[in-house]
Amino acid sequence: MSTRNDIGSTLVNHWQRGVPVDSKTVMTPVLLFCAALAAIGLTLAVVRFLSPLGPFSGMNDAYAWGIWKTFNVMTLTALGSGPLAVGMAAWVFNRHKLHVVMRTALVSGFLFYATGLVALGFDVGRAWNLYNILLPWRWNLHSAMFEIAFCMPTYCSIFLAFECLPMVLERFYYTRTDATKAFLRRIAPRLRRIYPFAITGAYILPLMHQSSLGGLMLLAGDKVYSLWQTPMLPLLYLLAAGLCGLGFVTVALCLGCLRYRRPLDISILSELGSLLSWVCFGFVALQCTDLAVRGQIAVAFRLDRMSALLLLQIAMILAPAIALRNKIARETPHTLVDMSILACLGGMFYRFIPTTIAFHPANRATYFPSTPEFLMASGYIALGALAVALAVNYFAVLPGDLEEWNHMFRRVRRSEPRVGGAQ
Amino acid sequence: MSTAMNRRQALLGIFGLGGTVAGAIAAPAAGMEHPAHPVAAPDAVAMLYDNTICTGCKACMPACNEANGLPADTSLSPGIWDTPSDLNSKTKNIIKLYEGDSGAPDFAFVKRQCMHCLDPACVAGCPFGSLEKNQWGAVTWNPSRCIGCRYCEVACPFDVPKFQWDKWDPRIVKCEFCYEQRLKENRQPACTEVCPTHAVIFGRRSDLLAEAKQRIASSPGKYFENRVYGEYEAGGTQVLYLSKVSFQKIGLPKLGTTSLGHYATKVTSVIYKWLSGPILVAVLLGAVIKRNWNRHEAESAELEKRTGLPEQL
Amino acid sequence: MLGILSNSAKSLENIDDRLMQCGVSRRAFLQFCSSLMVAAPFGLSITDKRTPEEVAASIGKVIRPPVVWLHFQDCTGCTETLLRPSHPDLGDLILNVISLEYHETLMAGSGRQAEQSLTDAVTKYPGKYVCVVEGSIPTRDQGVYMKLAGRPAMEVLQDVGGKAAAIIAIGSCASWGGIPSADPAPTGAVGVADLLPSKAIINLPGCPPNPYTLLGVVLQFAADGTLPELDHERRPKFAYDRDIHEHCPRRPHFDAGRFVRQFGDQGHREGWCLYEMGCKGPDTHAGCSTRHFNEIPDVWPIGIGAPCIGCTEKSIAFRVPMFQVIQIHTTAEPPLTYAPIVAPQGKVSPIATGLVGLAAGALAGAGYMASRKFSDKPRDDSVPGADPGRPDSDKANPESGPRE
Repeated sequence: MSTRNDIGSTLVNHWQRGVPVDSKTVMTPVLLFCAALAAIGLTLAVVRFLSPLGPFSGMNDAYAWGIWKTFNVMTLTALGSGPLAVGMAAWVFNRHKLHVVMRTALVSGFLFYATGLVALGFDVGRAWNLYNILLPWRWNLHSAMFEIAFCMPTYCSIFLAFECLPMVLERFYYTRTDATKAFLRRIAPRLRRIYPFAITGAYILPLMHQSSLGGLMLLAGDKVYSLWQTPMLPLLYLLAAGLCGLGFVTVALCLGCLRYRRPLDISILSELGSLLSWVCFGFVALQCTDLAVRGQIAVAFRLDRMSALLLLQIAMILAPAIALRNKIARETPHTLVDMSILACLGGMFYRFIPTTIAFHPANRATYFPSTPEFLMASGYIALGALAVALAVNYFAVLPGDLEEWNHMFRRVRRSEPRVGGAQ
Repeated sequence: MSTAMNRRQALLGIFGLGGTVAGAIAAPAAGMEHPAHPVAAPDAVAMLYDNTICTGCKACMPACNEANGLPADTSLSPGIWDTPSDLNSKTKNIIKLYEGDSGAPDFAFVKRQCMHCLDPACVAGCPFGSLEKNQWGAVTWNPSRCIGCRYCEVACPFDVPKFQWDKWDPRIVKCEFCYEQRLKENRQPACTEVCPTHAVIFGRRSDLLAEAKQRIASSPGKYFENRVYGEYEAGGTQVLYLSKVSFQKIGLPKLGTTSLGHYATKVTSVIYKWLSGPILVAVLLGAVIKRNWNRHEAESAELEKRTGLPEQL
Repeated sequence: MLGILSNSAKSLENIDDRLMQCGVSRRAFLQFCSSLMVAAPFGLSITDKRTPEEVAASIGKVIRPPVVWLHFQDCTGCTETLLRPSHPDLGDLILNVISLEYHETLMAGSGRQAEQSLTDAVTKYPGKYVCVVEGSIPTRDQGVYMKLAGRPAMEVLQDVGGKAAAIIAIGSCASWGGIPSADPAPTGAVGVADLLPSKAIINLPGCPPNPYTLLGVVLQFAADGTLPELDHERRPKFAYDRDIHEHCPRRPHFDAGRFVRQFGDQGHREGWCLYEMGCKGPDTHAGCSTRHFNEIPDVWPIGIGAPCIGCTEKSIAFRVPMFQVIQIHTTAEPPLTYAPIVAPQGKVSPIATGLVGLAAGALAGAGYMASRKFSDKPRDDSVPGADPGRPDSDKANPESGPRE
């Protein structure tokens, strides 16, 4: 459904539905590289599982958490909070335009979470005791770590997975037998009835665990440098998740259009940019107010290493906030992409700093990931990237123009013709 | 339709309000778990270490190793001496030396091990209660519950718990007051038993606090700041220190008087009491989403009728 | 005692019989055996992991080995040390445990009788007797500075020592030259090993050494026919592998920095460490710090407040001044006596740093290249990265104006 526009008035809605991507070869050299990296990472992970943690990582008793926890989980799941941020905007705050980009948000979010959970699974030292998660009398309800250990897998495997179900069922509907079609038509109403409750849960749970991720560092007390240690940590981590989620969805959409040769939809992107700008403002306002209330303004301007880090991090989030308030800037692809990337990096930076860079245990200790540790972390990320690329090829995820698609899906085996088609 | 919506919304609103009220009432009770100022149980035990008496003989180190079945840490000497440079996966108790700032011939020993805090941060953070505060206040580790997440290492302000990085079946290694092998058999821990000069002694916390204060009173100026470290630090600990030099110089961190568990759960204990916070938000969000969902469904149905395209969720 | 001595050359009998003959009580002998075990806890095969009764039984069966004891440039201190212990009468036991064929200090005879004893012993038990040498051997001017029965010590050593089963060089003088070898060494004094390098020699340096060291060596040789494990200076490891400093009772004071600064000061009265007074304990290999002397605890130099002079060590004794403070070089030097308050942890792998840098750079580069492909024109919703002249540009909004 496109509307012709006059120059300067309404914009064309190029994004009307999720449409599978039509690339000649799915496994491009870049994706093959990702696959190789993922294979290396996962192999190392399995080997690590069968051996002590020491040789495989640069972690030590002072820095007991390495990049798997602090980056793959605490930082990357912020980028994976697209479903939370975009979803709440669409379903709670009635931003109807954003429904069409939900699938992109969901796929990327699901894969960030899934790979993050894989990283977490291979990071714990006594994984055979994970069954304790099923024994309620052993739960320490005061522990942020418990909250995350319970909430995150539940969210990812139940709620996010459920939200991703429609796109998978859609492919089945159009590519499988009539019996399948009939079955799906029968269960569709039931799924629809559950859907609003599912997405309510899908927003409550990340609200809880994204803030708990911030709550983790509360217990570390003064080991986290004063510029970052605050009772506001949970709320700040949550806002950071929000802005990273919005930012990443924007970037993912734009990169998807770049890679798969689709036109942009400026009105939707502008909407995302505007939301991003507000969340960034909210974040910076909260962080600065918190610094002032705790009497840390002087420390923030000392211009030593920590202070410089803080000012850089605030700048990385404030700049997009200001820039994207301007309508013209939001509607300029280049600016929007740059500012979104900057916001994502700023948010990631904020989430990572208190766990590692501004984490000073009492001893003279250093931490840097070891080579196997880094390869594993990269492997998980590469796996996620590969999965996203495959998803946009085989499912209707990336938004596009309606006319180009008649519900044909590409087959798994390259040589076979496309299948499907609306009846 | 709209009236029904309003009625339902009203009902949900009442539930939400009720939930908030319940939460508010229940909130003070939440503070019980991590009070602002923990109080030691009457039978709480403690160790008192006085570095004006300690000669640095390190008898407590092999005694500890032996009582706990730990090997010597000979990594820094060519396989000969037990010379750990810090607490580690083979060392639950260590004597360290502060050698004075250059110029001033000042030195002091310090005995480091688990502080057995009254409200331990490690216990507050452990997801499945593997670390727990046991009888007499000893903080012990339970292998059947630990998943090896190492949150205890991040949380402890004294950097005490150590992880066995070189073992496939890694344990958390830290002083447990010889709980299983000695406390339960009415014996004092190995280190306090073996100390030849009684620099470190074991007893009831209240008694040892009194003893420490008595030592301070009878020799004013001998002990740093005329006070006992651990009386209030991090809410109070069950290892007390008397030192002739500044506590920070011997590596004891400067800490406030509230426990980390209290600081970390101040807000969340209110919000999550009986899950009132999440339930309230769920109810509110659910109401809004359901209403928006119904409208979205209506619009999609209409769109499908017009264009033949089913809705893409 | 002397009477017994004169009978000793007659026959070789085992120790048990001999002790019974001499009226040494079983209890006294057992006590001696337990003392031996305390004196030589590490590495003496005859005392390793046994009870005193077992040791007594195995020693009892030993045929008393004949021993020829030569004195050269000595002070007789090493003989004196063997006779010091008072309980039990060790002189008795030594002479009953071994068959002392020739000993200038102890033997009854003198003059031609004594010379005959020596000749007898050498001819009767060639290759079987143990030759103990006390005192250094002069080598300058053809060794005229010490003569035994008109023969220079060098010659006596070649003769008597050469025919021995093994030579025990007791004392620092016999081990490496001792006091006579100190500057200016007018007699050219050397130890036994310098003259008979290929012989089986055991050095027991010390001025004097502990008597139990000799006993342990002799008994092992007699019982097993083996010599204890020796270090590179032919000293038995069970007695000389550790230095005084490692087992010194005053070590805590050293570790805590409590040093005597002046003889008679408060620290000296309180028994503090004598390192600053020139104690050579850290560089001296001997067992004095555990075994002490005269069977009385704390009767040893450091125990009575005198710094060790390093009497067993060739490079120290009578060369380095007594009160000169030495550098401490232990063979296995602990890097820290104590753990520091703050210990470093963690290391940064250069390869990982490179990889992370590479990855970050690659991502940054890719990000920059990608962002460049997006249009700078507001409201330009065309396909990013597409050139306007290319066919793909038909995807762009046909109504949009020309690009500037």
